[in-house]
Amino acid sequence: MQIDNPELAQVGAVRDGSGGLDVEIRGLVKYFGERQVLHGLDLSIPAGEFVAIVGRSGCGKSTLLRQLAGLDSLSGGAIGFDGKARETFGDQVRIMYQEARLLPWRTVIQNVALGLPGSRAQVRAQAEEALAQVGLADRADEWPSRLSGGQRQRVALARALIHRPRLLLLDEPLGALDALTRIEMQRLIEQIWHQHAFTALLVTHDVAEAVALADRILLIEEGRITFDEPVDLPRPREHGEARFAALESRVLKRLMTVDALNPRNQLRGRVTEIVIGKVLSEVLVMTPAGVLSAAVPTSTLSEFPLELGADVLAVFKSNQVVLATSD
Amino acid sequence: MTSPIDALRNGAKGLLPWLVPIAILVVWELSALFGWLSTRILPEPLAVLKAGWTLALSGELWTHIRVSAGRALAGFAIGGGLGLVLGLLTGSFRKVEIALDTTLQMIRNIPPLALIPLVILWFGIDEVAKLFLISFGVFFAVYINTFHGIRSVDPALIEMGRSYGLSGWPLYREVILPGALASILVGVRYALGFMWVILIVAETISAQAGIGYMTMNAREFLQTDVVLLGILLYALLGKLADVAARLLERRWLRWNGAYSAA
Repeated sequence: MQIDNPELAQVGAVRDGSGGLDVEIRGLVKYFGERQVLHGLDLSIPAGEFVAIVGRSGCGKSTLLRQLAGLDSLSGGAIGFDGKARETFGDQVRIMYQEARLLPWRTVIQNVALGLPGSRAQVRAQAEEALAQVGLADRADEWPSRLSGGQRQRVALARALIHRPRLLLLDEPLGALDALTRIEMQRLIEQIWHQHAFTALLVTHDVAEAVALADRILLIEEGRITFDEPVDLPRPREHGEARFAALESRVLKRLMTVDALNPRNQLRGRVTEIVIGKVLSEVLVMTPAGVLSAAVPTSTLSEFPLELGADVLAVFKSNQVVLATSD
Repeated sequence: MTSPIDALRNGAKGLLPWLVPIAILVVWELSALFGWLSTRILPEPLAVLKAGWTLALSGELWTHIRVSAGRALAGFAIGGGLGLVLGLLTGSFRKVEIALDTTLQMIRNIPPLALIPLVILWFGIDEVAKLFLISFGVFFAVYINTFHGIRSVDPALIEMGRSYGLSGWPLYREVILPGALASILVGVRYALGFMWVILIVAETISAQAGIGYMTMNAREFLQTDVVLLGILLYALLGKLADVAARLLERRWLRWNGAYSAA
């Protein structure tokens, strides 16, 4: 059954008990050997919300997802779904990985039906319906090796959906796809999320993807949530739109600041003089090491204005530092 | 559209690999015919064919083939079966591996043929001795490849299976066994080849029937044509076993592009 009206579908989903799970995380701690990856992370996600987590590699975002999926044990803290222990909801949580992880020795439809109880005909019908939802009904009896990367991820999505998950965890599922396929997949995921009304948690490197899909964007730094902002844009969202772009650049800037907190390759100082030029402007910064003259594009300066006397941090990207001998 | 000339050219290309064997046969036949080659050293090809024909007519040939193939397959079933079961156990359970693998790896280094004197002491020169030798030889090829196959199943797929609620036998059936199958079949093919080698040696020890008995008997009576027939039969049966293994691969691994194509 195909329901075109998302609101109607949502009501139906909530009625048959397959609406989203309410997620409550308290003081989550995770160690891998000596190394602490999560430092007492707190997070609550109301049922049906779409949350995106951004952050640099190794910040602990994938670890968080694996904890929610029950793939790794907790080192400390608690995870609750609908106010109860996580373990009782094992079959209502599904995860999509960066790779599709299809079984190459099973056909597309057998992959979709993996682990589904019921009679053969029943399972087949359900799998066909799920495949139709992701637009691959005509590829049911092929081997996964015959599909493109995007199609494989669609099959993985169908495989997750067939279990009617109430929490869908997406661990960078679109990371390996080309730009066009990515946007198509984002639309598909958004549409299916509307229909099924599950809670969704997406881990991504791509800020634009987070802005396009999420109700709320979180930034995880060194195992803690350091940025939590609702995305108040009407759906479906267009990538080119002004408010979309503004939010995207705000999140990006926040991500870059994280970068700047690295104590190397930076100088603290105070702005002493600004010389506006036509294309390039010059900003003089008084630092403990002396006066630093920074050439900045005038357009950047008009977008992010600076005042005389402002405390600033001059940051050099490590791959752009050149050390030449003085003679 | 292919012109008749093209067709001829393609036909010629198909024949090319057979040119040398056919030439050798012709030269061989001619040299036997003109008496350059003593029939005591090498009988003419036609004589081998004739010997095969007479033995087939008398029914003797089929008895020998049946006995030999029966021995080989029984030994393969016992040794291969044990290798498969133990390989699955050591591959799947760390505890079984710790308990058994070192011992098995030590025994593996004994060449099966070195056991012949001991085997004759244990089992005499009866059927049991031959079965033991074949089983022993076949066991390790299957065991090692099964163990390796189970161990090299993609852990990402196993994790996926678990997160989709599979465990125990369903996980084994859906993920682990199919993932190990390519490696297991390599072991089976290798074992089938080895099976004939051991069979030949085992049948020359002492036998009352079988291809080995037939050739040893013929040697006593200087029937070089029958001896050669026996050698050719071994080659033929070996090839047949290999073709069977290939068919299994093509059927069971058809999802894998490397096996699906002809």
